Amino acid sequence: MFKTVYNQTSDMPVSILVFTAMLTILGLISLFSISMNQFDEVGITTFTKQLLFLIPAFVGFITILFIPKYMIHKYIYIAYSLMLIFVLTPFLFETIAGTHRWINFGLPVSIQPSEFAKWIVVVTLARYLSDHNLQMKKFMTILFPILIALLPAVIILQQPDLGTAIILLTPILPMLYWVGARPFHLFILVAPLLSIATAFHTISFTFWAIIMGSIIYLTQPRLVFGVLLYFGNIFLGLLSPFLWNSLRPYQQKRILTLFNPELDPLGAAYQTIQSKVAIGSGGFFGKGLGWGTQTHLKFLPVQESDFIVSVIGEELGFITIAIMLIVFSIFLLKVVKLAFLAKERFPGLVLIGIGTIFMAHVFVNTAMSTGMIPVKGLPLPFISAGGSFLLSCFIMIGLIMKMGNESIE
Amino acid sequence: VANSVIIIVFSILLIRFFHIQVYGHNKYKKRADNNRIRAIPTAAPRGVILDRYGQILVDNYPTYILTGLPNEMDNENWNFSVISACTAVDTAILIENFDRYFRGRFIPSRITRDLTFEQLSCIEEHKHELTGINYIQFPERSFPSGVNMSHVLGYVKEIDRSLLSNMVDFEQYDVGDLIGWQGIEKQYENQLRGKKGLAFLQVDAFGREVGAVKDINDIKPIPGKDVFTTIDLSLQKTLEKAMSSYKGIVLVTDPATGQILAFVSSPDFSPDIFTGNTTLRQWREIVNDPTKPLLNRITNGLYPPGSTLKMITAIALLEGGLTIEQNEEFECAGIYQFGDRVFKCWKVSGHGKVNLDQAITQSCNIFFYQAVQRISLNRFINLCRSFGFGSKTGIDLPNELTGLLPTRDYMNRRYTSRGWSRGHLLNLALGQGDLLTTPIQLAVYINKIATKGNTFIPHFLLSKVPEPTNSMNLNEQTWIYIQDYLLHAVTDKNGTGSAADPKINGTNVYGKTGTAQNPHGDDHAWFVGYAKNRNQMASTIILVENGGSGGKIAAPIARIAFEHLFNNNIENRLAAK
Repeated sequence: MFKTVYNQTSDMPVSILVFTAMLTILGLISLFSISMNQFDEVGITTFTKQLLFLIPAFVGFITILFIPKYMIHKYIYIAYSLMLIFVLTPFLFETIAGTHRWINFGLPVSIQPSEFAKWIVVVTLARYLSDHNLQMKKFMTILFPILIALLPAVIILQQPDLGTAIILLTPILPMLYWVGARPFHLFILVAPLLSIATAFHTISFTFWAIIMGSIIYLTQPRLVFGVLLYFGNIFLGLLSPFLWNSLRPYQQKRILTLFNPELDPLGAAYQTIQSKVAIGSGGFFGKGLGWGTQTHLKFLPVQESDFIVSVIGEELGFITIAIMLIVFSIFLLKVVKLAFLAKERFPGLVLIGIGTIFMAHVFVNTAMSTGMIPVKGLPLPFISAGGSFLLSCFIMIGLIMKMGNESIE
Repeated sequence: VANSVIIIVFSILLIRFFHIQVYGHNKYKKRADNNRIRAIPTAAPRGVILDRYGQILVDNYPTYILTGLPNEMDNENWNFSVISACTAVDTAILIENFDRYFRGRFIPSRITRDLTFEQLSCIEEHKHELTGINYIQFPERSFPSGVNMSHVLGYVKEIDRSLLSNMVDFEQYDVGDLIGWQGIEKQYENQLRGKKGLAFLQVDAFGREVGAVKDINDIKPIPGKDVFTTIDLSLQKTLEKAMSSYKGIVLVTDPATGQILAFVSSPDFSPDIFTGNTTLRQWREIVNDPTKPLLNRITNGLYPPGSTLKMITAIALLEGGLTIEQNEEFECAGIYQFGDRVFKCWKVSGHGKVNLDQAITQSCNIFFYQAVQRISLNRFINLCRSFGFGSKTGIDLPNELTGLLPTRDYMNRRYTSRGWSRGHLLNLALGQGDLLTTPIQLAVYINKIATKGNTFIPHFLLSKVPEPTNSMNLNEQTWIYIQDYLLHAVTDKNGTGSAADPKINGTNVYGKTGTAQNPHGDDHAWFVGYAKNRNQMASTIILVENGGSGGKIAAPIARIAFEHLFNNNIENRLAAK
């Protein structure tokens, strides 16, 4: 048995492991810095916790390596059903930090089932899209895979955890595209969301209307459909501010809280400003490990997870940030390359899905820390503190190793 | 497609980080430093004010003051209701305070003070709901001795912007500092006030202190110097109590040094009223009180001195060559006609034949009406001036008044040259008419008599080297006569001041009563005098406004003072520090 595993691993893309190790170590270094001024719990700091979390993460990673590919393919639907049950179970428990995100078995650590939903949804989508001889050119066939992702996403949104819910939806488009869905169909899917999102900003909405018009004109659908699509979207966009205003303030607040549960008491832009000050004050070489004033004076909120990139930026400087981003991008490029090299649809789809999830995490996290997008709590893979997330990341690395295996079973 | 998406996205992120970290580095570095270090002025405690034995009259105690920054207070009503719940102070009072201390949208305004630890904790718990609310430590003056002495001690004031812009030495002060505004607090401001320090603190995002800054040392505040006063606390306490039901003054000084042992201007008030707990309504009551508790009657009250001034005339008679024989007598029939005016003695039946000694002992008016005609107005006025009337005594309290000494010029201006006559001089000789003195001037006058002209300027600062008053040029024999007359006025069976004598072995009491007519109401009761035990002396000035007879009302209060001093081993008392 070990020999077969060895044979498999020898064919695996080892570079992935190198990148993973580099990023994990960077994470540990920054958490070590944060922990230097933590005296709250006896001996237990964010750093030591993360070290301990590495053990289950490795176990999860090795386990995936031992499970044959066909087993994953065979049982993923069962895993999906179990996952749905798991993401529902936090609702049976008392809230932790005001949300139903975690399951607490009375252990010192809680489990966040929504983390596992990420790769289960990806693998499920991959199996569905690879199993069937789908008529991908038809619009209706792409609706079912959307449902696969949407179902857990809606449940997680109720926890509420908008960040994870959005992450769950991101693999859909690339994976559909990968199996050959018509880009125009994907466009039809995205268009209403963009119409609503841009509706509150006149210039954005104008641009969007022009872009939408050009796309519809260039793809030349049936005239009636094209006109309906265009004006339907415009109408939706124009209507949404009125719909919004017709809501009562407490209803508006409820929606806003849903989209931003951490609406902080110190003002909306506060976290972003402090994060930018931290990153900017770090300069090219950083202030040195343990010397970040923004970090250690607690100006940075949730610095060990959502804003860990600000800690790195402040203490280790642009040089480290640049290396980190380059490592991430080479890592993702490698994953894409592996997907192209895959000889079957299923592993290729898994690789694309997981790559998308990693990419979404990195983008949302860093863009939020630098104030490019609104604050949305999402951790940075391998670097942010958090047991469930670390385990989930290492399982996904395991899946990449597995699916990126060039040898044929 | 996938590769280019990855490369584009990561390029954007890289550029973004570069823009912030390298291009915007200086800007953000400055912001981060501001976040980090806050230089907080640390108040230097003012010096303590003590009595001559080192008992504390004015102390400091640290209080916590709650301030609100108007600019940051989003929801004032909510803030005030939370604070009210924490401090149990009515919202209306909080708002009243806030408005009273309001100095601008960007300057913290005081909301309440004297916060207890529990109240602070409660406010700290609700800090996230309270915007723009802060608390600061503030050294408040406290008055543990139980005496009022409000006019002497004075008070401190918080400097505000308009005050600062009107100050000469404005560069030494900041808005929010305390400055001595009256009394000793003002007079010895330079000694009492310390030098502020600076504490460099690391603060976190919520403005909470997280510790000292490593590379910068705090500048330690230098506390103000303590001021020892000449006040005798127990004497002061006794006399405040004795005067509690009167309007008037008690002043006890040591003629040999000029030190002030007790200083009572009644009615007074607790010096506490300036420290902030007083509502505007209470404050108005004090300001509008018809008994004028804010007036320092000793340095700023103007009174006709009445018969207490008779010694001036006596000295003029004794000094004025041979104008009067030692035992020359004048007839007092209780009534005296001068021109078309009729003057009366206080004793309706008259004193009969009286000499100068008896005239002072029994305070005969008719004697003086007749005798004073032998001296000129100028002679009289100059003698008054040499005793210190008509000019400031130089006491170490701010804003002393000069009183009014009517010269010939003044009389001409006031009444025209034909409008006044020697009849006015008759009035002046009895301390009536236009002449007005402050009680502190009378103290110098009586101290000069007690020391044969070698007294010192009255003062409160114990460490001060006494400054002599202007020198007198009188015959030794004149001083002896005058002192004898004053002794008789207390010890003689007919003496008007006998009630001032505590009858202590070895202690002689010298004094003169006065019952000054006063156009605004009942007569003022005066007693001026001193007591002497071997070489130890203490003089006292008593005034009871509208009290009536000086001998009956004022003299007994002098006895309380003398009794207290000379029954308690005066050698030790006056020497001690």
